[in-house]
Amino acid sequence: MTAGLALASIGAGLATVGVGLGIGRVSASAVEGIARQPEAAPKIQITMLIAAALIEGFGLFAAVICFLQI
Amino acid sequence: MTAQFGRFSWGGTGGLLSCTVSLDVTSAVAAAETSVETRTAVHDYIVRHAMYHMAESDSWNLPYVHLRFLDIFRYDATMVIVSALLLVAAVSLIWRRRRDPPRGMTALLEFYVLFIRDKICGAFIGDRLGRRLTPYFCTLFLFILTMNLLGLVPLFSAATNNINVTGALALLTLGLMLVGSVFENGLRGPLKAMAPPGVPWPLLIILVPVEFISTLGKAFALMIRLFANILAGHVIIFCLLGLVVILGYAALPAILLAIVLFFFELFVCFFQAYIFTLLSAIFIGQFVHAEH
Repeated sequence: MTAGLALASIGAGLATVGVGLGIGRVSASAVEGIARQPEAAPKIQITMLIAAALIEGFGLFAAVICFLQI
Repeated sequence: MTAQFGRFSWGGTGGLLSCTVSLDVTSAVAAAETSVETRTAVHDYIVRHAMYHMAESDSWNLPYVHLRFLDIFRYDATMVIVSALLLVAAVSLIWRRRRDPPRGMTALLEFYVLFIRDKICGAFIGDRLGRRLTPYFCTLFLFILTMNLLGLVPLFSAATNNINVTGALALLTLGLMLVGSVFENGLRGPLKAMAPPGVPWPLLIILVPVEFISTLGKAFALMIRLFANILAGHVIIFCLLGLVVILGYAALPAILLAIVLFFFELFVCFFQAYIFTLLSAIFIGQFVHAEH
C-alpha cells in the first residue's frame, strides 16, 4: 500500500514534467507567433488553447490513474 | 466502468482522510496533556469543514436541520439540481425583456449570448446548425460554471468532481455530434464522417476503426478533463487544510497557501467551463463538416 502510494506520487510528478514541457512549447511558439503577427493574435490564442487543453488532458489521464492508486 | 472509476476515487479520498485522522488521534493520546475528547471534537469540526471540498457523504442535508426528504437524493445529484435552480433563478432575475436598448445586467447577458453565437457556434459549427445550437451552448457554459463555482461555496460541493456528471455532459456532446451530422448531411451523414466517400476500400479497413475510436476518445477526453481538473484542485485544497489536523498551529502557511489556491481555483472554474464549451463546439463542427 505504502509502496504503491509512493510510486503513484512519483508517477504523478513524472506526468507533470511531460505535460509542463509540452504546454511550455505550445505557449512559447504562440507568443513568438503573436509577436511576429499581432493581428493574428485571436486565431493563435484559440489554437493554442485547444492544443494546451488536449495536452493537459493527457496529463490528467495520468493524474487520474495515480488517483486510482491511492 | 464509469461507476467503478467514481467509487475507487472516493474510496481513495476516504482512505486519505481516515489515515489523517488516525495519525492525529494516536499523537494526541501520546501527548496525553490535553484531553483527547476536546481535541478530537475540534478536529472533527475542522475535518467536517475541509470535507466540503470533497463530497464524501451519500446524501446532502442542511447543517443543523435534518430534512428527511432530502435523503432520497445522492449528494452530487442534489448539487446538480441546486445549480440548475440557481442558474434559472439568476438568469430570470437578470432578464428584463421590456427595455429596448438593454441596460445593465441584461446588456451583459446579451453580449454573452452574442459571443457564444458568433465566436463559438458560428465560427466552429457553421451558421445553420450553429444558430440552432446556440441556446444549448449558452446553457452549457453557465451550467458548468455554476456547478464548478458551487464547489467554492461553504456547505456545497462541485457536482463536476463526480465523473458521472461530466460523463453525462460529454455524452450530450457525443449525441449532438451524431444528431447534428444527421441534421446537416442527412441520414447518411455520420456514415460519411466515419468513412469519407472517394477513399479506396483497403484504406477504409484502417480508417474506419481509427475514426470511430477517435470520435469516442474525444468525448472520453472531455469527460476526464473536466472531472480531473475540478477534483485535483479540490484534493489539493483538502490536503492543505488536512495538514491542520496533523500539525496544528504549525500549519498556518498551508492555510495561506490554500487561500491562494482558492483564487486559482476560481480561475480554473471559468477556464474549464470555457474549454468544455469551446471543445464541444469544435468537435461537433469537425464531425458535421467532415469533408474539411
